[in-house]
Amino acid sequence: MKKVLVVDDSLSVVRQLEKIISESGDFVCVGHAKNGAEAIKMNHSENPDIICMDMNMPGMDGLTALRTLSVMDKEVKVVMVTSLGGVGDKFTEALKLGAKNVISKPFETDNVLRILREL
Amino acid sequence: MAVKFFGQFLVEQGIVSRDALVNAIELQDQKNLKLGEMAVSMGYITQAEIERAHNAQMSKDMKLGDMLVEMGFLTLTQLNDVITRQKNTHLYIGEALVQVGAISSENLQQHLADFKADQAMYVSDGIELPTGIANSNIWEMTADLTYKMITRVLDLQFRPGKCVRSEVIAPNFMMAAMDFSGDLEARYLISVSEGLQQSIAKAILREESVDDEPSEVLEDTVMEFVNVVCGNVAAKASQMGVILNINPPVTIHPPESGLPVPEGHTALSFPIHIGDGDQMEMILLIKN
Repeated sequence: MKKVLVVDDSLSVVRQLEKIISESGDFVCVGHAKNGAEAIKMNHSENPDIICMDMNMPGMDGLTALRTLSVMDKEVKVVMVTSLGGVGDKFTEALKLGAKNVISKPFETDNVLRILREL
Repeated sequence: MAVKFFGQFLVEQGIVSRDALVNAIELQDQKNLKLGEMAVSMGYITQAEIERAHNAQMSKDMKLGDMLVEMGFLTLTQLNDVITRQKNTHLYIGEALVQVGAISSENLQQHLADFKADQAMYVSDGIELPTGIANSNIWEMTADLTYKMITRVLDLQFRPGKCVRSEVIAPNFMMAAMDFSGDLEARYLISVSEGLQQSIAKAILREESVDDEPSEVLEDTVMEFVNVVCGNVAAKASQMGVILNINPPVTIHPPESGLPVPEGHTALSFPIHIGDGDQMEMILLIKN
């Protein structure tokens, strides 16, 4: 089973994603981080296959963490999570920095799992 | 399902690759001239005049086109010509994807139809605001999306009440708020009774019971609902040509007397009737 790390400052989002991921049967959630800096540390300690990461977080945000992760770890696949529907430059920047896809909120279980399975 | 852009929809659906979308966006960046670039290409102004107008923008909050007119570099007629040329020659993302070979022009129409169907539930329909509210189309859309998300995300039956101006924000068990900045400044609030907080938590966490959840988790679920609504409002506003930035959500526990409306703001109250004695209200505090 592929290992997934969830990164979001909202407990609600972490709970929603952990539930979708763990009930899928294809993935196992190896933990969660509440900002980009924690995500980088946990990527090192937990060695996940996939990181689902919020764009906007207090402390180190998702795009900054993505920039670091894309240099430090070429293997891990990062998917960004946002309610902003690809507004403005952030969506394009995330893709240019190497994010594999973007998951929109509100979550649709089928959509989330399809995106993760296609990675 | 959420408010999204066509390019994001195609990547999410696995129809085009991430790299193809980036290529198409880069092609758009090359082909779609900015206002100043277009005015130069039409021979109306020089690069040096654009730079002078950019410098002037640092001390005066004006759009570039208006500044060029104010400084006498462009006439109003020329400005309109430039804007019309920009619109007429704009390369849309769908066409850009065809040009980079990511999709065929035959399939483009079908993908656009699928995208339209996906987004149909987010098209605004009739909400009436009191008269004299500026940017009413944005606030009507905000109310409309809130109602749709109550149905879609919270799975609650409700009846929207009439929107009224309000002098004081009525008390309730708790509120979650998020500030909009950018082209417009406003605070978006959702106020809920204790029972509704539980209903929201069950829906967001996808749990049958939330009796054992700590209060911080219950409050976080209301903030997350506000976050989802406001993110989608910002996306929709952007499609309507208005830039709204969202800031982190906060919770508020109002006193029994309610909260005063800050000076220089207009408060719009949107009662949301749920039944069973539960009270919910959406409030917009719009900076005048």
